[in-house]
Amino acid sequence: MVERASPLGSDFRPGSYGDFANGAEVTILELDRAGIVEATAWPGQEKALCEALAGACNLRLSAGSGNGAANREGVCAFNIGPGRFLVSGPRETLAGQLESAVPDTIGTVTDLSHGRTVLGIEGPKAEWVLAKLFALDFASAAFPVHSGCATAHHEIAVQIQRRGEKRFELYVSRSFARSFANTLRRAAEDVGYTIK
Amino acid sequence: MLIDCPHCGPRDLAEFSYQGDATRTRPDPASTDTQAWLDYVYNRPNPAGRHREYWQHTGGCRAHLVVERDTLTHEIHAVAPVRGNAKSGDAA
Amino acid sequence: MSPRRTSAGGSIDRTRTIRFTFDGEAHTGHAGDTLASALLANGVSLVGRSFKYHRPRGVFSAGVDEPNALVTILREGVREPNIPATQIELHDGLRAESQNRFPSLAWDFGALNQLGGRLLGAGFYYKTFMGPVAGPLKGTRFWMMCEHVIRRAAGLGRADYEADPSRYEHMNAFCDVLVVGGGIAGLMAAEAAAKAGKRVILAEQEKQTGGFARWSGETIDAKPADAWAAEITARLSALDNVRLLTRTAVWGYYDGNTLAALERVNDHVARTPKGHPRQRHWTIRAGTVVLATGALERPIVFPGNDCPGVMLAGAVRRYAGEFGVLPGEKTVLFTNNDSAYQAAAAIRRAGGHVAAIVDVRKQIGDEATALATEAGVVPLTGHAIVGTKGGKALSGAVVQAFDADTGRLSGEARPIDCDSLAVSGGWQPVIHLASQAGGKPVWDAEKQAFLPPEPTQRWIGAGAFLGETGSVEALASGRNAGLKSADKRPSRAKLPETAPSALDLTPAPVLEIRGKGKAFVDFQHDVTADDVRLAHREGFVSVEHLKRYTTLGMATDQGKTSNVPGLAIMAAARGIEIPQAGTTRFRPPFSPVAIGALAAERYGDLKPERLTPLHDWHEEHGAEMTPAGLWHRPLAYAGAGETVEQAYIREASAVRRSVGLVDVSTLGKIAVKGPDAATFLDRVYTNTFSTLKVGKARYGLMLREDGLVFDDGTTWRLGETDFLMTTTTANAGPVMQHLEYCLDILWPDLKVHLTSVTDQWAGAAIAGPKARAVLERCVTGTAVDNDALPFMGIVHGEIDGAPVMICRLSFSGELAYEVYCGAGHGVHVWEALLEAGEPFGITPYGMEALGALRIEKGHVTGAEIDGRTTARDLYLDGMLSKKKSFIGSGLMDRPALIDRNRLRLVGVVSLDGQPLGGGAHLVESGNRDEPGDSIGHVTGYCYSPALEKYIGLALVKGGKTRHGTRAFLSDPLRKRFGQVEIVSHHFFDPDGERMHG
Repeated sequence: MVERASPLGSDFRPGSYGDFANGAEVTILELDRAGIVEATAWPGQEKALCEALAGACNLRLSAGSGNGAANREGVCAFNIGPGRFLVSGPRETLAGQLESAVPDTIGTVTDLSHGRTVLGIEGPKAEWVLAKLFALDFASAAFPVHSGCATAHHEIAVQIQRRGEKRFELYVSRSFARSFANTLRRAAEDVGYTIK
Repeated sequence: MLIDCPHCGPRDLAEFSYQGDATRTRPDPASTDTQAWLDYVYNRPNPAGRHREYWQHTGGCRAHLVVERDTLTHEIHAVAPVRGNAKSGDAA
Repeated sequence: MSPRRTSAGGSIDRTRTIRFTFDGEAHTGHAGDTLASALLANGVSLVGRSFKYHRPRGVFSAGVDEPNALVTILREGVREPNIPATQIELHDGLRAESQNRFPSLAWDFGALNQLGGRLLGAGFYYKTFMGPVAGPLKGTRFWMMCEHVIRRAAGLGRADYEADPSRYEHMNAFCDVLVVGGGIAGLMAAEAAAKAGKRVILAEQEKQTGGFARWSGETIDAKPADAWAAEITARLSALDNVRLLTRTAVWGYYDGNTLAALERVNDHVARTPKGHPRQRHWTIRAGTVVLATGALERPIVFPGNDCPGVMLAGAVRRYAGEFGVLPGEKTVLFTNNDSAYQAAAAIRRAGGHVAAIVDVRKQIGDEATALATEAGVVPLTGHAIVGTKGGKALSGAVVQAFDADTGRLSGEARPIDCDSLAVSGGWQPVIHLASQAGGKPVWDAEKQAFLPPEPTQRWIGAGAFLGETGSVEALASGRNAGLKSADKRPSRAKLPETAPSALDLTPAPVLEIRGKGKAFVDFQHDVTADDVRLAHREGFVSVEHLKRYTTLGMATDQGKTSNVPGLAIMAAARGIEIPQAGTTRFRPPFSPVAIGALAAERYGDLKPERLTPLHDWHEEHGAEMTPAGLWHRPLAYAGAGETVEQAYIREASAVRRSVGLVDVSTLGKIAVKGPDAATFLDRVYTNTFSTLKVGKARYGLMLREDGLVFDDGTTWRLGETDFLMTTTTANAGPVMQHLEYCLDILWPDLKVHLTSVTDQWAGAAIAGPKARAVLERCVTGTAVDNDALPFMGIVHGEIDGAPVMICRLSFSGELAYEVYCGAGHGVHVWEALLEAGEPFGITPYGMEALGALRIEKGHVTGAEIDGRTTARDLYLDGMLSKKKSFIGSGLMDRPALIDRNRLRLVGVVSLDGQPLGGGAHLVESGNRDEPGDSIGHVTGYCYSPALEKYIGLALVKGGKTRHGTRAFLSDPLRKRFGQVEIVSHHFFDPDGERMHG
């Protein structure tokens, strides 16, 4: 198996950065998601698609705007548009698995495993840092754990899933990943951050 | 300005792209009526008041929306997805 | 301790001394001071020179409304001009400079302008610099001649030429209730809303909440008002659902209850901590807004009212109460309402001396009289100030009997000795944000003030904003506003107790005392009462015209002290009431905002960089990178001592001779999937895709609805219902949007899904006679010979373990393939291709060589598909299917679009051996100085290694009909003129034998 190169470059390396004198208040990391897949239902097939995805990945996924789920094996999915879900997991075989699980009467599946870079941000100031970049309400009442959305930071489209009270995962197009990571890092400098 | 995307909820204007007048109708694709095509491509009403416009949520779910907006006050009266909205969408 | 500083009182910390400089001179102040209070404490009365007349000016107010005391701050390598000294918190090492003076503040050359004051009235520039209609100075030339002198003489602070190294940032916030203003009304509103469970943001523009309570000396709930305010603030800070933003000015109220605010995060400290912003720009989306923005005091306009030492009475009260600073040794108060009496008492309590209270009213109430008695004076009622004495500092005032009903002065004018004059013309609610939100302010004749309009967005007013002036009312309306914002009814529960005031803050309707000498309305723009009347005489009766003609209210303070007096004078001149004269709609910003704060993180990094999977490889191998939209692509890989031109000629020659490799990962790629995918493509492309066989690719052309060419590219059929569309690099986004529009709006019945997969794939084009031989050496799992992989065929295989998809297509005209692999495998596959190509001298090539190869071949790109060309213009008529309709087919045959004399694609060859120029025009005349009309222009050019001459593509009238003729390249900007031959755009291998081989 050929190893996959990270788009983030040599500047993205472990350490503490910014004003971390009082302890870094967020952690930023690149998440290793070997399989990233977009699955989209035909109109009227949203529920069927959710069931197919849930069955194939062992997820409790329901149709509807922004809904999401995750399982213990590290597979997660969330809604990013009408009838459209982003699914990711630790295995490269995810695309093939979902292609067999989603018949073309229900919808289509597109492999984005190489096309998206997943960044994690975690810590007490995660909401604070993200609020600098996105006009979204990150309060957990408005953005519960597992839910997700599609948004943008200027030119860069980003899909976000909340994975914990203080943990978010950001999916960005690979070509923008380095630029976006730099923007995210800069936004985290006032609270101090650690790259793992 | 905020647009209440039927899929994503209220989002900042910066996430949306204006996609033109939603009241025009595309001629039959095989039509050779040049005037009908010219009207469709170039002629636009410019009402002072309520107007129906297409907006795409490009920085979000990417769906096209019909936004009923007052061009004088910027007030948005209604936002509906184009798909599933029988009135919009011209026959092919 | 300075003579003006009281020994006790106020909220400054006398144990902490702070050192700062003003115009290079060292001064000290205390923690808690503003620059203005510290300068006053040091007895510095002269702090600036005025805009036009260079008149000496001193501190006039104590807050955001300051028109005079604008200074330049030098901090962390930046000079920031036009900052009100009243807004600058004193900190160690603060360096401030006065403005608009030369050579020094005290001896200012420009003060000579005062002598010519009559000439410099309203509209001076318009009238003087119109210029004669003819002659050497006609039109604007006279202005241009004088401009540099005037620009130097008139103005405020000087902007820096250096880049601003400060950090700014953006922040987004959402809340149920945004409370603007942290006075007692705002604090009550915030607590009521927070207790009801709402998410609350409270924004206060000053360093701490409390507002008026901080210096009023009042008592709330048996505590000093400032202590009460500190306690409620502490309670709010402890709540999870409340965010307190101090030093945060809400400056804009936009549609959808979206508000803009500027937080001055680190302007009050000597050095911004590492990683922290200087200022933070907040965009706040609020469910409901509580406007508790208070009121600002208005001056009375009278001759000499700009002399340093004349201040607002409320400001004098604040300097005494909050900073323990007396504005002078002997203060005269001049008023049309009772609030000056509070100031007088405050001066007395702080140990100062009140020389007189001059009141335009004939009678005053008992409570005011009591305050006057406390201040040790008997009010001079029915009198007015008609002039001042002193130049750089006030030395006296002139008083005369005055009838407020008739506006007539009588009796003898007599001087009063004083070094401080405190003026009150009544209070104007701060309704700027309410006006920005929409709706017209309402004039209240009783209160002599503009009151807030009916809300057109979701806001609720509280406190002095409503035109109420007492603390009792502020506490009640604040709590009610908070409850209402939480959809609750007004409460009957006990309010914090405070003594009701019997003072009458309703002003007598006197805002101007007319007399001899300049009486200023707008201090910052040097607009006098006479200027306003002059504008009226000259026909500027609308308030909007008046503003533009006199520039009244258009300076950095946006007329906070001048709008109402200016309007009153205009109304009087027209003989109408103030509401008939109207008011202007306030526009953002309420207070100045640095451009840097608006740009925030976009500063210095205007666009994100879009990088291909091979980016680092390119840079490590000497590529000079060039931007292509957001992408960065290699221009050429120049070796040591090689120019870019030499490098691309070497690279392109290698492709023609043997084999080269280029990164094409930037091409737009869209997955088009679904049972109706082929039908969909037939509708958006001019040619047919439903007939394309699985495993084959086809070149496609897209038009816009208007019939002009939109984009081109190849689309590959990977499965029966699975297509991969490629677009040009530049149009990837627009094409995606176009396709989405078609599916959502035109043909919602089609079952097709679109996904951008541009970033999923790394792409390398391998081109040249040896391309196949290279692939044969490294591709496994599939054959790549002509049978297995014919022209436009697609195969799947592996290169060094990485899955690849290979399509045989050519942009260079050579035998060529595009090899696609997962983006994360891009470098791995690229290096494997280079290794396999080593025996053939495989050469990586960049955009310049790619361009040269395509020009030799006559392939069009964005330079020719420029939004003005038709398929016929580019000789792509064959692509226009006659069997079906498609986007653009309705209008592409319009007469003007099929005119034979349109600009059409040709090749041009330089006949003088010199390079052509992109964008250069082609003309028929050989006369360099009189080239005549353009017959077209060059769209791209290069040195052709294959032809060994400079060639180019051009769009020329008539196109093909000119083949074999000569023309001239006219490029005066680049000083280039030379003869060219017009030829076919297919320069090289026109029959395509090489790529089909």
